[in-house]
Amino acid sequence: MPGPRALLGLGLLVAAARAGGRCRERGWSWSWNRSWNRGWERGWERDRCLPRRAMHSPGTARPGPAGLRFLGQEEAQAIDQELFTEYGFSVEQLMELAGLSCATAIAKAYPPSSFTTSQPAVLVVCGPGNNGGDGLVCARHLKMFGYQPTVYYPKRPNKPLFEGLTTQCKKMDIPFLPEFPAEAEFIDELYGLVVDAIFGFSFTGAVREPFGSILSTLERVTVPIASIDIPSGWDVEKGKADGLQPDMLISLTAPKKAAMHFTGRYHFLGGRFVPPALQEKYALNLPAYPGTDCVLQLT
Amino acid sequence: GPRRPPARSPRAPKSLPGVERGPGCARGLGTALSPVLSGACPQGSRAEAEAMEKELLEDYRFGRQQLIEIWGHACAVAVTKAFPLPSLPRRQPTLLVACGPAQNGAIGLVCARHLRSFDYEPTIFYPKRSPDPLHRDFTTQCEKMDIPFLSYLPTEVQLINDAYNAVVDAVLGAEGTEGTAGTEPCAAILATLRLVRIPIVSLDVPSGWAAGPGGSGDISPDVLVSLAAPKEVARRFQGRRHFLAGRFVPEELQRKFGISPREYPGSDCVVAL
Repeated sequence: MPGPRALLGLGLLVAAARAGGRCRERGWSWSWNRSWNRGWERGWERDRCLPRRAMHSPGTARPGPAGLRFLGQEEAQAIDQELFTEYGFSVEQLMELAGLSCATAIAKAYPPSSFTTSQPAVLVVCGPGNNGGDGLVCARHLKMFGYQPTVYYPKRPNKPLFEGLTTQCKKMDIPFLPEFPAEAEFIDELYGLVVDAIFGFSFTGAVREPFGSILSTLERVTVPIASIDIPSGWDVEKGKADGLQPDMLISLTAPKKAAMHFTGRYHFLGGRFVPPALQEKYALNLPAYPGTDCVLQLT
Repeated sequence: GPRRPPARSPRAPKSLPGVERGPGCARGLGTALSPVLSGACPQGSRAEAEAMEKELLEDYRFGRQQLIEIWGHACAVAVTKAFPLPSLPRRQPTLLVACGPAQNGAIGLVCARHLRSFDYEPTIFYPKRSPDPLHRDFTTQCEKMDIPFLSYLPTEVQLINDAYNAVVDAVLGAEGTEGTAGTEPCAAILATLRLVRIPIVSLDVPSGWAAGPGGSGDISPDVLVSLAAPKEVARRFQGRRHFLAGRFVPEELQRKFGISPREYPGSDCVVAL
């Protein structure tokens, strides 16, 4: 018994036939021709007639708001939870893809040749939660891309995931600093870029030490800062006018409301793993990623 | 002896006192004489691939799911390079992904999911599902991405030729021995794959090849994606494109296993050989 999705598919099938029938890759993605030829596919375990993201086809009707959505904190948390509980992803998997996105965005905006330091040295500051884990994955990929990352990771969760990511970095000759550089000037001298992987979209309340002091120092740094998902210390929805002012923001999954207050040069979208059904459910209206890139430059 | 590091590798940064460095930072042969250096594992052999995987999991503490995700993603990227969307002959960018019961099949599932996010239309044939919870999760993820799973593979090969642009062969990998290649359902899948006229992309090892030279009984893939390093059987590969998905291999392991360093374009995780 075809469900509502199949009926919707049939309705659109009629519309497409009237429109000439050519199904563009990024628009309505099914074809009546196809189902007719391959009768055995009616033995599919899942209904196939699901229209794909219409917003990628100029000229077709857009369901919901036209623009890219900026998520509130609760929404971001709900989507995250749904990825793990409904869609069967593991933190390990999505963290790998998220960290790869961050490294890829950095490689696009700050190629190794653009560094004024003698080597493309990058300081990756990792916080106590998942944002820190994203930072560890990012550091490993930066190393593979030819950068020289150094990690500062003062508060490490006692969990195999984070211990594993730390070991992977160490075994790849990525040094871990015992102390945070005392002065912003030292950071400016030694590194051409800082990756802020301290706090993410779950951050609420006051900043606990040592991160308060770290953020104070980072606020005085003059080399570019690339923040993962949320500039650390910012309210996830309202931002923080007197807080960190990163040069780059890599929003993961979808941008959060804080990103509306971002004034840096580069805003990238990463975390290319959101299933179409989830995108539709939350009307994320994500623009199309280019080709097989795992990042999309928004500004 | 171990190969010299490639020139492009940065020198180790100056150490601050107390900077932690993992055991991998010590240059030299490591704590135990590896099977590779002692000559026990011929290069590209199944034993060598297993030794490397073991080291990635136990010494480097990669997670198995993490590795399969990395491999599956890289395979999908290679497929898009071999068959760019605009180049596909059919109106719809359809692909058939045939997944076997073991790890090669799991890599195929991840590959299918990434192909779906790259706007291809994969259909999966996964007749013998592993009970491994990890593989079950990969299956759920594909189902939730609205990727259809075929109930059966038509024996009428023309139907496959007509419906799909290419087949991704994730049936058997290096673990495919004489025994597994000959059992069902792999034997039936391979029998069908031998007859298709559309291109085949094999993941890591063309299915059935690891069982030994089969001559005319072998499948003939158009594209091969080698994981970490080409396997010995890849020497018999005569298809159009051979990709290496090896960027994830740490430099120390590349040296240890005698993997020639390669230049990967930009931030690509695969390189054409």
